[in-house]
Amino acid sequence: MKKSTRYNRQTILPEIGEEGQYKLSKAKVLVIGAGGLGAAVLPYLAGAGVGEIGIVDDDIIDVSNLHRQVIYKTSAVGKSKAEETKTMISELNPEIKVNAFSEKLSGRNVISLFEKYDIIVDATDNIAIKYLINDACLVTNKPMVYGSIFRFQGQVSVFNYQNGPTYRCLYPDENSSVVNCEDAGVIGVSVGIIGMFQANEAIKMILGVGDVLSGKILVYNVLKNEQQKYDFEKSSELEMAKEDFEQKYNSFENQVEEIKFELILDEIENDEVLFLDVRNDDEQPKINLKNGFQIPLMNLENEIRKLNSNQTIYIFCQSGIRSKIAVELLQKHQFKNIKSIAGGALAMKKLLATEINL
Amino acid sequence: MIEVKYFGAVAEKTKCEFEKLSFSEELSLQKLLQDLNGKYDFESLTFSVAVNQKIVSKTSDYTLQTRDIVALLPPFAGG
Repeated sequence: MKKSTRYNRQTILPEIGEEGQYKLSKAKVLVIGAGGLGAAVLPYLAGAGVGEIGIVDDDIIDVSNLHRQVIYKTSAVGKSKAEETKTMISELNPEIKVNAFSEKLSGRNVISLFEKYDIIVDATDNIAIKYLINDACLVTNKPMVYGSIFRFQGQVSVFNYQNGPTYRCLYPDENSSVVNCEDAGVIGVSVGIIGMFQANEAIKMILGVGDVLSGKILVYNVLKNEQQKYDFEKSSELEMAKEDFEQKYNSFENQVEEIKFELILDEIENDEVLFLDVRNDDEQPKINLKNGFQIPLMNLENEIRKLNSNQTIYIFCQSGIRSKIAVELLQKHQFKNIKSIAGGALAMKKLLATEINL
Repeated sequence: MIEVKYFGAVAEKTKCEFEKLSFSEELSLQKLLQDLNGKYDFESLTFSVAVNQKIVSKTSDYTLQTRDIVALLPPFAGG
């Protein structure tokens, strides 16, 4: 049988060769998030011939994703991102194995997923999940290729590479970082560039060539074409054993109860319950409910006396991330019947608008 | 004279990406951060601090030297 020339242009590079291609074919990479970053990382890993690629994303394709998540067709709007990506990259390279996980990454599934791969790529879009990925990488001893975006700037780093520094060594302050879960806005090329840096780091690690961004964070500004690298060190107090991980994530997640607003719609007329908005005063859309009350998350602990710990309280923020932290905080103060509203004010406003139209 | 660089949400707050600051007396990193916080009210923002391209502790008693470059690096969350 004639040998395929698929990888010829890269195997003629002295840094790769047949041996490098063999390493790529044996590598297993798990990409968390098939959004803007994932849309850049995934096709390049597949094209290069990474032997096994996993994709974790429980989201479905929205038309507003397409300007930056350019691996999707307009006709795929409404379909699963993980499944669509699997189809796309399997067509690009049928020689590789692709696994799609249309599920939410959580304390319950993360360890068993990570154990099956060599490299974990963080292509997610929220801070809380970055800590989860980081901690699970520590427990399973896998390197984490981090990428993230703020408007026209991006960050890239590789954590826990050969026992190197981690995300917590760079950003130890977990809670205060999640004050804002609104979208800041982004253009496709910015996420594309950062995703490409991530794919590059993954491939370098597999091949064992070049310098991996371990202990360094690269900050890139696409408007100015400026990039800077900052060094950081491993902080020894931040080890995480499997038991610590289980305690932190699995007990937390079992406790924070999330509820869909549509199931409690009648409660907006019930004076016995309270809808607590933990957003800041200036956040839109306003949700005006007669049994509503607002305390921004940062003030919650100080103003906790304003709340009744025996009352049923439904907590919401903009998209459902800060409200979970608020639930956790109130639980520490012996509040019993509290739930976080899934999707936050954005989901609520949508439903309230529909109700009024009816 | 030192230079302070701002990134991400921190630069949104300062409304500039860098500024040069001069100081007459000895100035520690910790004091600089306090002064900047007083000027811009970073309260709710989290960020790491680098001096001359190296991340350092925010509570470091390091005394700033002329031509030092300080950078305030918040985590980014988009993707």
